[in-house]
Amino acid sequence: MSGDERPSLNFEEIRELVRIASEADITELEVEAGHLRVAIRKTPRASAPLPPAASPTPTPSAAPLEEPSSHWVPVAAPMVGTFYRAPGPDQPPFVQEGDRVEAGQTLCVIEAMKMFNEIPAEVSGRVVRVLVENGAPVEYGQPLFLIDPRG
Amino acid sequence: MFRKILVANRGEIAVRVLRTCRELGIRTVAVYSEADRDSLPVRLADEAFCIGPPPAADSYLNVPNILSTAELLGVDAIHPGYGFLSEDPRFAEICRDAHIVFIGPPPEAIEAMGNKARAREIAQRAGVPVVPGSPGPVRNEREAQQVAARIGYPLLVKASAGGGGRGMRVVHNQEDLARALQTAQQEARSAFGSGELYLEKYLREPRHVEVQVLADSRGNAVHLGHRECSIQRRHQKLLEEAPAPGLSPRLQAQLYRAALRLVQAIGYVNAGTVEFLVDRQDNFYFLEMNTRIQVEHPVTEAITGLDLVAEQIRIAAGERLRFRQQDVQFRGHALECRINAEDPAHDFRPSPGRVVSFVPPGGFGVRVDTHVYAGYTIPPYYDSLVAKVVAWGRDRAEAIARMERALREFEITGIRTTIPLHRAILDNAFFRRGEVYTNFLQRRVDLGQLARGSA
Repeated sequence: MSGDERPSLNFEEIRELVRIASEADITELEVEAGHLRVAIRKTPRASAPLPPAASPTPTPSAAPLEEPSSHWVPVAAPMVGTFYRAPGPDQPPFVQEGDRVEAGQTLCVIEAMKMFNEIPAEVSGRVVRVLVENGAPVEYGQPLFLIDPRG
Repeated sequence: MFRKILVANRGEIAVRVLRTCRELGIRTVAVYSEADRDSLPVRLADEAFCIGPPPAADSYLNVPNILSTAELLGVDAIHPGYGFLSEDPRFAEICRDAHIVFIGPPPEAIEAMGNKARAREIAQRAGVPVVPGSPGPVRNEREAQQVAARIGYPLLVKASAGGGGRGMRVVHNQEDLARALQTAQQEARSAFGSGELYLEKYLREPRHVEVQVLADSRGNAVHLGHRECSIQRRHQKLLEEAPAPGLSPRLQAQLYRAALRLVQAIGYVNAGTVEFLVDRQDNFYFLEMNTRIQVEHPVTEAITGLDLVAEQIRIAAGERLRFRQQDVQFRGHALECRINAEDPAHDFRPSPGRVVSFVPPGGFGVRVDTHVYAGYTIPPYYDSLVAKVVAWGRDRAEAIARMERALREFEITGIRTTIPLHRAILDNAFFRRGEVYTNFLQRRVDLGQLARGSA
């Protein structure tokens, strides 16, 4: 489990903090737990910069990140499970940042109870962000991708 | 012992279980619905995972999401609390298949006691008296008429899969029987997915007395005394106490023996409660067995000094009971008032919403189990329990005085609660004499006056 052995805050908790910070109307959030202090500062450039203490940031794309827009549509996890970007370990990902996708096209799979569930795009558009690391556990409702329907 | 426990519940019982886990040095996972994102269990647990949207069917009853969370986060046991999945034998079985320990009895025991008609049969075979009625489910109206002729009216039509008073009808004469069977069956089918019914003689003014048991997986079983749960409103318990006042030593011994006989008959393991009805002649009848921790377990904890959730966890981990029957000592008397977010002025309709101020009582002999804090919004999706106030005293009178003091201190604004009702009960002369029975509220408390007083 990523970050599970960390003494105070684990990866999930940090990500939760990031989510709280990015959703709330604040620019800074500091949390202290045990020996670890996490400071999250929102800059106008990135939507949710991960603190250095956390696990690697989501797959970086070749193109520089563009500024997030309100019309971007999140794709949320419909179930609890393990997030996989590709149909198999040696296969290329279903989608990359920058790809155009059609509504209904598979974006990823979530493994739950030993079953692989394909998660389709609900809208057509361009994948502007992949928010979750391959192989990471996802909770219900967790945003997985951002899609720009105008892209 | 377990390394990490997932608490598959919400509200005060989730907080209750998380606290004991912390004390035992066990890491915890809280699972929550989108409506409970800001809840206390989410804050208290080491890890928290969202498992679904607000409706319980999609979250707290969502077995795939709960089990996936358990597997993803490396959990070795699940505590189901009460309600939700706590008495679902299939869930206990799925946990077993997934090599995750279900902190509760084996699925076979849950199943045996879950079907109320079958539980009656088992109790009878074990020599435990049951309320006179049909030997098992009744298949048709003719069969019901035959049973009715034998046990007489009034009688109760009950759903085999039922509980909490749903799917239950009182029938006063033969003319009403057919219609009661029909409506009870419809209600049972929609509420429990099974329309199976059985009949029981209706006892006038019975008391509801229950025995707490603990059994380990090595065949050791003890009882932890009895509780009085007669103060109910629409078959929902409101105020409980331990011990039940005024039971003769002979009756107490009989109840204990009966409860432990049943435990043995079904190979029961973990904490459980055997419920009985007791009539005025000291006759007692098996009602049902609850195969989980109960809401009112703190009154037993108060008089025994035992942490029942800790015992549940130890038993589930395969440990032997650390005490024998003679080691269990009872001390004093305890009451529990269930404070619900309900409006006494409007027929106790649910009163969800934002809690503006919340100042729970404290002091010697007072315990408050709650998940509520000032600023918390009580979601409308779940039960209305806000807090359980438990007061201990050296004797019943002291416990009552302490509870009165505690409820006087308890300040909750923003929502309506049942505190005024509890104060009226504590003030009632019959209650103070220990004269309680299941229709106490209808007979002894003027709910109309209460409504006018709090409006």
